[in-house]
Amino acid sequence: MIPSFAWRNLWRNKLRSFIIIAAVTLGIFAGIFLTAFINGMVNSRIQSIISTEMSHIQIHQSGFLDNDQFSLLIENADSVVRLVCETPDVVAASKRIIINSMVASAETGTGVKIIGIDPENEIKVTELSSKIISGKYIDSTDHNPVVISERLAGKLKVSLKNKIIITVQDVNKNITGGAFRIVGIFRTDNSMFDEANIFVRGTDLSRLTGLKKHEGHEVAILLKKNETDDVTKTLSGLFPNLEVKSWKQLSPEAGYLVSAMNQYMFIFIIVILIALCFGIINTMLMVIMERIHELGMLMAIGMNRARVFAMIMLETVFLSLTGGITGLILGYTAIKYFAKAGINLYFWKEAFSELGYSSYIYPVIDSKTMIITAILVMIAGIFSALYPAYKALKLNPSEAIRTQ
Amino acid sequence: MNDYLKFAWRNLWRNKRRTLITTASIFFGVILSTVMSSMQEGSYAMYIKTIVNFYSGYLQIHSKGYWNDKVINNSLEYPSVKSELSEVKGITAIAPRLENYALASSEEITKGVMVIGIAPRVEDGITNLSKRIIKGTFLINGDNGVVLGSTLAKYLKLDINDTLVLLSQGYHGIGAAGKYPVTGIIKQPSPDLDRTVVYMNLTNCQDLFSAPDRLTSIVIMVRNNAEMPEVKNELISKLGSNLEVMDWKEINSILMKQIDSDRASGMIIKGVLYMIIAFGIFGTVLMMMMERRKEFGVIVAIGMQKYKLSYVLILETVLLGLVGVISGIAVSIPITWYFIFHPIPFTGQAAETMLQMGFEPVMSFSMTPSVFYNQAVTILIFTMIIGLYPVYNIYRLKINNALHS
Amino acid sequence: MSIIEIKDLTKVYDAKSLPVHAVNGVNLTIETGEFTAIVGPSGSGKTTLLNIVGGLDDPTSGDVIIDGIKINELSSRQKTDFRMRNIGFVFQAYNLIPVFTSRENVEFIMHLQGKPKDERESRTNELLEAVGLGDRMNSRPNKLSGGQQQRVAVARALASKPKFILADEPTANLDSKSTENLLEIMEKLNKEENITFIFSTHDQRVVNKAKRVITLQDGAIISDIRN
Repeated sequence: MIPSFAWRNLWRNKLRSFIIIAAVTLGIFAGIFLTAFINGMVNSRIQSIISTEMSHIQIHQSGFLDNDQFSLLIENADSVVRLVCETPDVVAASKRIIINSMVASAETGTGVKIIGIDPENEIKVTELSSKIISGKYIDSTDHNPVVISERLAGKLKVSLKNKIIITVQDVNKNITGGAFRIVGIFRTDNSMFDEANIFVRGTDLSRLTGLKKHEGHEVAILLKKNETDDVTKTLSGLFPNLEVKSWKQLSPEAGYLVSAMNQYMFIFIIVILIALCFGIINTMLMVIMERIHELGMLMAIGMNRARVFAMIMLETVFLSLTGGITGLILGYTAIKYFAKAGINLYFWKEAFSELGYSSYIYPVIDSKTMIITAILVMIAGIFSALYPAYKALKLNPSEAIRTQ
Repeated sequence: MNDYLKFAWRNLWRNKRRTLITTASIFFGVILSTVMSSMQEGSYAMYIKTIVNFYSGYLQIHSKGYWNDKVINNSLEYPSVKSELSEVKGITAIAPRLENYALASSEEITKGVMVIGIAPRVEDGITNLSKRIIKGTFLINGDNGVVLGSTLAKYLKLDINDTLVLLSQGYHGIGAAGKYPVTGIIKQPSPDLDRTVVYMNLTNCQDLFSAPDRLTSIVIMVRNNAEMPEVKNELISKLGSNLEVMDWKEINSILMKQIDSDRASGMIIKGVLYMIIAFGIFGTVLMMMMERRKEFGVIVAIGMQKYKLSYVLILETVLLGLVGVISGIAVSIPITWYFIFHPIPFTGQAAETMLQMGFEPVMSFSMTPSVFYNQAVTILIFTMIIGLYPVYNIYRLKINNALHS
Repeated sequence: MSIIEIKDLTKVYDAKSLPVHAVNGVNLTIETGEFTAIVGPSGSGKTTLLNIVGGLDDPTSGDVIIDGIKINELSSRQKTDFRMRNIGFVFQAYNLIPVFTSRENVEFIMHLQGKPKDERESRTNELLEAVGLGDRMNSRPNKLSGGQQQRVAVARALASKPKFILADEPTANLDSKSTENLLEIMEKLNKEENITFIFSTHDQRVVNKAKRVITLQDGAIISDIRN
């Protein structure tokens, strides 16, 4: 009967209860919506990193990552690719040649990372082909095709079908170069990536630099799921002389991003709950003071301290949870709606893309977060109940029941 | 007027506990918001200072159209500009620069780099580059050598006194080639710059790119940000339409937008916090009104005009807010003061990320007044809006009903 | 058979500065089946005495022995438990829980005692019928008249099968008709079920119906008359 008692007590003063419930609803709604918002941003950045920039796992010759040396080759890159593809959970793998050098147009030149790809395999590993906005991706036709970003094309003042000169050092350390024709222009959400990378056919680059057909600098691997630990371990064992690194290891800032955002949002929700506690405590204190006579009577007829405490605790928790759950429901509805429609922060498009973020945000929340929030709301309720309950328990029934 | 204030103030403290808890909630909100704003503004100020001092300067002069098309063909002629500049007041430093891409070669390997021709002494005066030398020496006027970023030097396997070969396309497409001894190795905080930039003396650079007396940019420093607009205007009027004058905000427009978006997100967070606190204040005011219905009936019955009573109640609400705000600000001032002198260092990955972006890995704080009085204004606005409820309530009060409640 | 023995009961307030002997050396025995009124002017100590007998307050000295147990020596928790199982209360006001119906108010005490659901239900029906409110079982207190509320209070007081019922000014807020009804019921319960009632009252009508009238003045019994 005590839970029923506590619940009905909430509605004795409807306006007052509504104010607190509204406050909790607002706070929780804001909390989970913002969390979902940030999650959406981070998720899409990570997806972008994996699907366009880094893939799940990369394999290099030891030392390549530190020095970026042309000579640090994976000698049998083709067979590495084959072996990798036979490993469970691997969707696809592709080998690349990587050279940091210069590209020039008639107008100007700039330093870029030149990536020589195997078009058939590369398409299975990255989504760059879907980011082509005009022209096409590298395939097995055309003579010396190159795919560059819109941003770089703007800088070099070139467009589709123009030629650009790539200058590189070959295996004999001679400077050489070749003319490449732009067959496709791409745009990703990451301006820095766009500006720094151009893509050519691996075989063309090998021919230009004198590399052997099966040599490469990097093997990029796409997995079925984002969990990379197991496969990384397996592959490290398979290729003990090579460096096998997951995207988290290659880009620790990205991994840090996820955990940092989680922490911030958690702190945000805690702060909201603390702010709410003030209001809840005040409300419950008022509630106790108003019911002094009734409390005195209850204690007189035999309701012991533990039960009085439980009743007040339940009342407070019901109050908080009603607001909390309403907030969660409203938040979830809003999140689900925007998860489909997306939120377009077009006015910050440039700012975001400099950091690698899309200006379209698709908020997302998982049930674990919602459940934890509900539990936190409950804890806030319990905590807020402590002081009012203490005041109630200190009452002397014989004094409290007095009507004067 | 004083009487009303006294009345309102005493009414507030009739229920000490309730008033204290409500004020505590405002106090809490103000401290959090102030510290957060202070941190945000502090970090923005640090970003801007770093960028202004280290790369862009307060103002830059370019050939018109250079900024949108950064090619060496869009360079300006220095001598004519130089004489104009000497007449402009408020300029504390003038650093000429010539920048262009080149292919850098060592014995072992080749890489694309960015060559920046500078006037070493002036440039160092602004950017303090010489302090970041880790091996060898910084450039001196007349020096024929180059200074490389540490990562670049490592990649090219170059050490002091080794030779760096530079190949490129210069002004009007003339081929550029040159050999230079490595004078010094520098550690740039930004890893990007550390692996692409090569510094050399301006005259050597102009020789290399066949661009005598030409510059891609002139960096202008002023005493402080307040003086900048005036100097900018003077420059624009003096220099004519062939040149563009940009201030650091325009040069770093994207950083400015990022700061804007960050500020906005901060406002949303603070907004949510304040809304919750406002609900709390409203709840308190509501309870106060309910309790005192009979008393209000008596007051109006014995002859106090309703509007005067409303006035007292508005005062109570505003005072409630004020106590919280003033105490909150009073405590947050020493807190931010402390952190300005003892900045909290970032550790681990956070520090790495900061360093990567070229900034010192500490949490900076700001004491600009707006950080504090913004909170006061916000709370005041909220309490005044909430204060409308008692006014409405009194307006609708029926004396008889109130007396017998 | 005596159920309450009060021995040399004294309660002193404000012992240091201006000691007030609210109850001053009272000796009293109450037996099963009594219908006793304790009367006296304001300040005579009746409320204090009743509070101590009901275990709501502690004496400065002396004992209250109920059914062989010295209740003044029980701990706070034990006293609460004792009250729940052995003493019924009817107060002047605020007897009922506003958010519970009459039925639930009566059931509540049995719920606290841990009685099983069917026993609670049948006894509730029985009691509410006995006080004449069988048709108002699902009404909340705000839908009942003052007299009806007090009758529900009586039903509630009986629900725990107490050894006796303490009624502190139960008729003070009622009109004459309701008072009449209430006293009739209490009398009936006393005669037919042998339920012990102890009143503290100003009300002459209660005194008229009482079988024993104890008069207090300045904390001491000045007369003890049985009818």
